[in-house]
Amino acid sequence: MKERTFLNIIDPVKDKMYRLALRLLTSKEAAEDATQEVILKLWDRKEKIKHYANVEAFAMTVTKNYCLDQLKSKQNSHLRIVHQNYESHAQSLQSEIEVNDEMVLLGRIVEKLPEQQKMIFQLRDIEQYEYEEIAEIMEMNQTAIRVALSRARKAIRESLIKKHNYGIR
Amino acid sequence: MELGKIEKLLERYEEGRTSVAEENLLRDYFLSHEVPPHLSSYKLIFRYTSSQRDEKLETEPKMGSSRSKIAWSSIAAVLVLALGVYFFNEADQNLNQNDISSVSDEELAIQKTKETLNMVSQLMNEGTADLVYLQEFNKTTNKILKTD
Repeated sequence: MKERTFLNIIDPVKDKMYRLALRLLTSKEAAEDATQEVILKLWDRKEKIKHYANVEAFAMTVTKNYCLDQLKSKQNSHLRIVHQNYESHAQSLQSEIEVNDEMVLLGRIVEKLPEQQKMIFQLRDIEQYEYEEIAEIMEMNQTAIRVALSRARKAIRESLIKKHNYGIR
Repeated sequence: MELGKIEKLLERYEEGRTSVAEENLLRDYFLSHEVPPHLSSYKLIFRYTSSQRDEKLETEPKMGSSRSKIAWSSIAAVLVLALGVYFFNEADQNLNQNDISSVSDEELAIQKTKETLNMVSQLMNEGTADLVYLQEFNKTTNKILKTD
């Protein structure tokens, strides 16, 4: 496989890989490095890639596994503490600022979810994958994914409401 | 779409039973409509999930460049090491051969050895001659001890 063809396959997936890595590793630099590393891994296995029915799902699975390994390894244990580098493109308008604050708050809520729920939420509600694809990426069955997703959605809404009530009272 | 239908969909959404199409319907609705306060948290969530898709990988993926750099530097290192060992051994062998040829005669070998040993003992003696001063040191310490 030529480098060009490989890049054409990877191109539509690479942002999704990056976003999944970012969701798990929190820091932008770590997520960029992880994506780069995973792409290299895939490039090394380029001959095998042809045989995969769904290259995108495979690329996402490799990304997931790589990031989980990164989280496990000691050298990166500090990554959890590093605060997300949210860039606020906030306008001077008060409402804009409020909305951005809410987005930052939501980011923190999602960050607190267990890793599995975090990933499934990312894959379904942000990347809009079908359950079949998520099952393939996560190497889980669809029922378990629905359950985890339901938990994640409920947990996010509940903590959002809780935070809001704190603000008012 | 009326609110009742939306609430039905939200219920199924929370249970993870909506399809991607239905979720998109919900997203579009919440992003484009004003909603009653008890649903405003959904508005934020949908706004959040759709905003998260804007995050893009900014660096271009590089293929093999970093790998090949490591590969090339390791090849270079191995070459340097191999050449170093080769030349070092070469020089060593020359030295040994010269030494052997210079003392092929047994008589001469004994002579040379004697000369060397003599030189060593002479240097030894010169060295011990300097140690005489130590005696001086002992004398002075003795003096101090006596006065005490």
